[in-house]
This record gives sequence, C-alpha cells and structure tokens, in this order.
Amino acid sequence: MENRPYPPNQETSEYVKIFIDPVIMSDFQKLNLEPFTLTTEEKAQLSILKRGDRLWVNFSDGDHCDFPYYQKNVTTVLEGLATDTFKKLPLSDVFDGFVKTTQGIEKRVFSSVSLSPGENVKDLWDEIIKKINLISGESHSLSSLVEKLLDVPFLQKFETSLVILHLKGQTKAELIGTVWRFEKKQSFFEVKDFNAFFNSIKKSKIKSFTSDSFPKINLPFNGSFLAKEVTSRKYSLVAVVSRHDFLSYGKDEIELFETCIDLLQPHFERLIDQEFSDKRISELRVCLKDFPLPLRIRDGISGTSFMNDLYTGELQEKDIFFNKKVKGPFTLDLYDSDELRHYAFDLFHFQRISLLGELLNTLRHELSNPLFGLKLGSQIFATMDISTDSKEIMKEIEKNVNRCQVIIENFSNLYQVQSVTKPVTIKKIIDESLILSKSEVREVRKSITYENKAEDLQLEVPLIFVVQIIFNLIVNSAQAMKNMEGPKEMCLIISTDSDHVLIDVKDNGPGIPEDKLTHLFKPFFTTKTQGTGLGLVLSRNLAVKMGGNLEYLVNNNEKGAHFRLSLPKT
Amino acid sequence: MNTILIIEDEILIQQSLKKLFERRGLKVDVSASGKLAIDLILHNNYDRIICDLMLQDISGFDVIEEAKRKFSPEEISQKFVIMTAYNSPQVLSRANSYKCRLLNKPFDDLEEAMKTMTE
Repeated sequence: MENRPYPPNQETSEYVKIFIDPVIMSDFQKLNLEPFTLTTEEKAQLSILKRGDRLWVNFSDGDHCDFPYYQKNVTTVLEGLATDTFKKLPLSDVFDGFVKTTQGIEKRVFSSVSLSPGENVKDLWDEIIKKINLISGESHSLSSLVEKLLDVPFLQKFETSLVILHLKGQTKAELIGTVWRFEKKQSFFEVKDFNAFFNSIKKSKIKSFTSDSFPKINLPFNGSFLAKEVTSRKYSLVAVVSRHDFLSYGKDEIELFETCIDLLQPHFERLIDQEFSDKRISELRVCLKDFPLPLRIRDGISGTSFMNDLYTGELQEKDIFFNKKVKGPFTLDLYDSDELRHYAFDLFHFQRISLLGELLNTLRHELSNPLFGLKLGSQIFATMDISTDSKEIMKEIEKNVNRCQVIIENFSNLYQVQSVTKPVTIKKIIDESLILSKSEVREVRKSITYENKAEDLQLEVPLIFVVQIIFNLIVNSAQAMKNMEGPKEMCLIISTDSDHVLIDVKDNGPGIPEDKLTHLFKPFFTTKTQGTGLGLVLSRNLAVKMGGNLEYLVNNNEKGAHFRLSLPKT
Repeated sequence: MNTILIIEDEILIQQSLKKLFERRGLKVDVSASGKLAIDLILHNNYDRIICDLMLQDISGFDVIEEAKRKFSPEEISQKFVIMTAYNSPQVLSRANSYKCRLLNKPFDDLEEAMKTMTE
C-alpha cells in the first residue's frame, strides 16, 4: 500500500464512507465514533472488517491491505481514522503514516501482503502457476517438492515448509520438511494425535494457527503457521508453512496458500505413490532374501528367476515343498531343506518350552509362600507340648510340604531353557518322562527293561530335550492304542551299542501303515484329528541336534509301532 | 533387643514367626498390611522390623521409604530385615541399596534364619 499511486487533489476531494463490520461495531461504539467518510479522488469506498484477529481495510477498487488487530492497536487505528488529519490525507499517506507510527512488526506484515504498484492479481497468479509447474516437474521426492514450495513467489518470506503424512494403514504419521530453508526435518507422530490435528485444520475456517495450539504435534519451529489438509483414498496429509513469527496471516496469503496446495495435490499423490512403492519393493526384496527357506520366483515369460541366499543349484523339482502361481507370469517355489527344520521347528519348540516354563514359574511362586507357611507352622507345633501322635502328624505335614516344594522345584527347573547341560543318568531321563506322561498312559501296561546296566550310564545332554522326545513317543503310542480292544502294552527297552545309547519305544497298537511311513517325519503330517503334525519332526530335529537320531523301525513280523531314539554316549 | 514388628501377609508365616519370637521372650507386633505397618513404625519404637516385600497393598520397599521419615539410613540398615521369595536381580539390588539383611523364603535352615533376624 505504501506506494499506492494516489495523486492528492485537494480541490476535488470527496468523502468516502467507512463500512464497519458488526463484529467490531461495539469497539466503535465504545469509542463513540460514527462511521465517517474520507476524501478520495476515485471515490473509493473503504471498509474496515475484523476477521479473526486482524483488521481488514478494503478499498472499493478491489485492492486491500490488512494489519494485525490487537486490542491496544484498534484504539490507535480507530482514533487515527477519526482524526481530521486522517480525513484530509490521501489514503496511501494515511496507511504509510500508520505503519510508520507503530513498530516494525506491523510494517513487515503490511509490506509482505500488499501487491507491488502496477502489479495485478492475474500476473501474480500466472507467476505462481508457472512456478508450481516448474517445481513439481523438478521434484523426484516428496521432501524436495515440500522444500521447493518455498520458491513460490508469495511464499518467499516463509522459512519453513513441511507436510505431515499419514498413509492409511500405517501406525505412525510422518513429518517431512525443511525448517529455516535448509534444515531437513523428519519425525513421527501417533496416528490418533495426527487425526486430531488433521480434523482441527479441516474444521478451521481461517487456516492460520500457532505452533503451541497442538501440544501433541511437536512442530519443529515456533510461531504461527498456515496449514491445509489434503486427503485421498491412500493417505491424509497436512501441509504447513510458517514465517516463524507470531503474527497471523492475511486473507491473501491464506487463499494463495490453499490454492497452491490444491494445485499440488496431484503431484503429492504421484510422489507418495512412487516413493512408497519403491520402499515396499526394497523391503520385500530384503524379506525375500532373508527368508529362512530356499526360495525361487520364476518369471514364466522371460524364464529368469529371483533366488534367495539359501537357494543352491543342487535343489531339484522334487524338493519343492510349496508352490504357488502368483500375480502375472510368476511362480513362487519354496524348497524343503534342513533349514526348514532348523528355523521353523526350533521356533515351535522354543515357544512350547518357554510357555510351559512361564506357567511353572508362576505356579512355583504362588505355591511357595503358602507351603512355607505350612512348613513353619508344623515345625512350631511339633515342638509344642502336644501328644506324641500329634507330633508325628506334624512331622508328616512337614515332610509332605518338603516333597511338594521339591516337586515344584524340579518341574520348573526341567522346563527352563537351559544352555548348560549337566550329566544325567538314563534312569533319571526315563523316570522324568514317565512322570510327565503318567496321566496319558494310565490304561497301558508298561514294562521298562535296561540292558547291560544302561540305567546308570551318564549322558551329557539337555535333560529337557530327551524327556520331550520320549514323552512324545509315549503319548503318541498311548493315543494310538486308545480305542483298541484287549490289553494295551508298551515297552521301553534301553540298550547300548558301541557309541550310542538306544531307547526303543514299542507298543502292541495298530502301528503305522506302510503308505504313511514316507511322510512320518514330514512337517504337518498327522493321522490325529487334533494333531499339529510337528511332534515327530520336532523330536527328530532335537535328536539330531544332540548328535543322535530318531527312526521308525519296520519289522514285518511284529504288530504295533516301534520307534528308536539313539543318543551318543558321553 | 526387646520389641519386634513382623510385616507379613501370609498369616501362617506371620503367626509362626510371632510364636518363635515370643518363645525367645520378645514383645512382638504383627501387620499383614503395609499401610498399618507404617503407622505402627511411626508410633512405636521397634528394635527390629522383619518385612516381607510382596504385600497386598504396597510393597515392602514402600514401607522402608516411609520409615525414612523417622530413621536415618544407618538405623534403617540395622533395624530392617527384608524377607522375600522373589530374589530377582532387580529386587536384590534394590534391597542391597538399603544395606539391610536379606532372607530368602522358604528358609533353608530355621535356626540360621532366626539368628539372622534377632542378631
């Protein structure tokens, strides 16, 4: 406004009317001011409006300017407008005068929003649109587009440009942008905080905010800012620009900014799509490379393949464990291998053990206090002046409590995942397995035979591993015989050869049909309705880990199943 | 040593210990709740306080913290005996920070435990 071409012409001066928005009418009334007129050659009409916290001064020729509305200043403004001096001065001088009489802050706002002399809105728009086309063509990433937004003519006095982006389905919203025109920023917000922020921006009519209005969204600058939300099927986004001061923004700026963001929307969309599909592809590539099974994706048209690190040339068609046609001409093959057992079944095994361990630990903690109470109580009673019979009972209570404590202790130690292995006797292994499987084999007649005094042999193996294998074999056998007529018999024979201890589990049940034998140790193969098909796979895997093996012995003369676990002698 | 306070919410343990101390001629107060125990500590002068860590309302450590209003750190370390069934490293390191005696439940040797508590 300061250079508004406005040749003063005292002779033909006329008064113009000032229109006052009802919102600030009360302020005028307080000051006892009547709407008044100004002299102007162009018979320009001047209206003062309060919009948000700003005062707007509109001229009838379509030009306008604004300045911040502070309670203190409105008085100054109105008083200034009311003075005779004001009335006589050409408009440009009045506003220049006003600007000069207050401190620099107003001056800055004033000059930043006004159009240069002779410049018209259409020219400015042409320039903005040209710039937007240029920067969107130059930008190959969302962050560079956001940064270049500050080159758009009316945003050149801004210091910060950023977007907060939430891709639908993601757990975080991401802030991408540039602060102070050079410092790249990136941070993350919770989705619910972002949504609250997004909705406030969406509902706001003035689109002008201050950084402390959103405590959950920690913006990397202080001051007021302009914001505009954009939404599409795939994402929600808020674009933010700020000058880093605490002054609010003019209508021009808000309108220009909103229009800019609208113009940029298709470019945001394109860049987001591109960036995140790149990201997805590279993540997928990493996942496939590290996939714990040999894997190959064949392109049916070109004949080329993608293979991961575990794939070796030795693998053949027959090793394919899983095969699926995927999108387009591609086929995915997964190969069965040692890795399958190592990776997948270690995990199953570990989960099982740790769950049981947790359970037993809780049980131990919950029981140990009351048991201790019982023990202390019975000890004290035993030393009191009571009959010998009662004393005996007290001693028995104490003994039983001790036994309970030992049992709980043993069980929870058994199911701890141990890394150190202590030497353990075969007998201990067999006994533990039988205790664990006791309820399952109630109806089965069991015989245990140790050959060559094998019971006292010491093995250096993790007790829990071996117990689990034997437990598995016993339970399998008992379940197979469950609906069988006649006596159910199971025998455990423990023998040795030169390097191994052999533990044979035999029963007189239905046995395993010949056609099922080849699948016996394959994962997910089961004959039970409730089975996982992992028991035997896990067991063999454990046996192999300990340097032993687990096999099924076929003897055509014998009825029933016969498994043999071999473990290396120490 | 004349008076002793037992803070333990397992009544069997609490009463058994009470009997044991009374037989040795001590005057014994008991509390199953941490809050009541704090009240007792602030209004009485105990020579020894046996404190379980896992109480129903607050933890034994909270009781010790409250007792700091009355006792110096030296007095805390002498008066308090901590009893616990959960000897995780975290619990042990916190218990050690008070420099007081620590007893694991269940007691391996009752006589030994009594000695620790009354010495």
